[in-house]
Amino acid sequence: MTDTRPRGIDMNCADFQDRLPELFETQADLSAEEHLKTCENCTALVRDLEYIAQQAKLLLPIHDPNPGVWDNIRTAIRNEPGQNNSGPSSAPSAGR
Amino acid sequence: MSAGQTQQKPAHQHLRRNPPIAGEAEAIAAAQAGDEQAFEILYSLHKRRVYSLCLRMLGNVAAAEDLTQDAFLQLYRKIGTFRGDSAFSTWLHRLAVNVVLMHLRKKGLPQISLEEALEPTQDDGPRKDFGGRDLQLSGSIDRVTLERAIEDLPPGYRLVFVLHDVEGYEHNEIADMLSCSIGNSKSQLHKARMKLRDLLRTGQRKESAV
Repeated sequence: MTDTRPRGIDMNCADFQDRLPELFETQADLSAEEHLKTCENCTALVRDLEYIAQQAKLLLPIHDPNPGVWDNIRTAIRNEPGQNNSGPSSAPSAGR
Repeated sequence: MSAGQTQQKPAHQHLRRNPPIAGEAEAIAAAQAGDEQAFEILYSLHKRRVYSLCLRMLGNVAAAEDLTQDAFLQLYRKIGTFRGDSAFSTWLHRLAVNVVLMHLRKKGLPQISLEEALEPTQDDGPRKDFGGRDLQLSGSIDRVTLERAIEDLPPGYRLVFVLHDVEGYEHNEIADMLSCSIGNSKSQLHKARMKLRDLLRTGQRKESAV
């Protein structure tokens, strides 16, 4: 039987990578995947994607806005039309 | 751990994202009564998280500052409606996400639904990984490198990646926010991670070539 797969592309890799999003989402135990036992390339891919997701969770808020942002907010809230039902119950004080 | 391990967030993750803040409850009550100083305290407590969110979602300092301002103005107008059903930071965070998404919708292509706009062009997308060259990312990725790579993601990928992997939102929440299907959110996230891997590996190759 003739192999019609494009040269250089292992269809097992293609199949596995097509299933990968769902495997991640279902929290499947990927180490049990037969394909990973023999495919160094897909093993590396899985390891990298897991690593990227883990590192992203460690990204804490570290950026501070320019101090001028608060000045603009303060000016704007002082210019807000008085009361409304969903806002603070009295207008903010004019000075600090 | 699986990259998709997000269905049930452990308690410590919620605490890491929304740790109790001393003095916050008093500041909220005072700000609800119109105390500007109390509102400034709330700004000081939450400005970093709101601004970081805006910056990561938009990838642009000026826009992030404008929308941080908009988010806190919205907060000023709506703080009276906060009833404490969820953590204040969770509530404010969601408000900020909505401000950014509204901005993107206004700025975006109104004739194209967000679901379509989320799909980058072929050129922007990740490649399937069938090759054997540079099998794995070498060594660890530092925070700055990862932040830069996230900035370089196509906007649709960046949104879903930041909301899910950085901010910890679930796919159903993201689908709700972006008016797209849960499947679309999952698919975009996977493509975003694949594209990030491409970007990080390209960066490593360039570094090693220098």
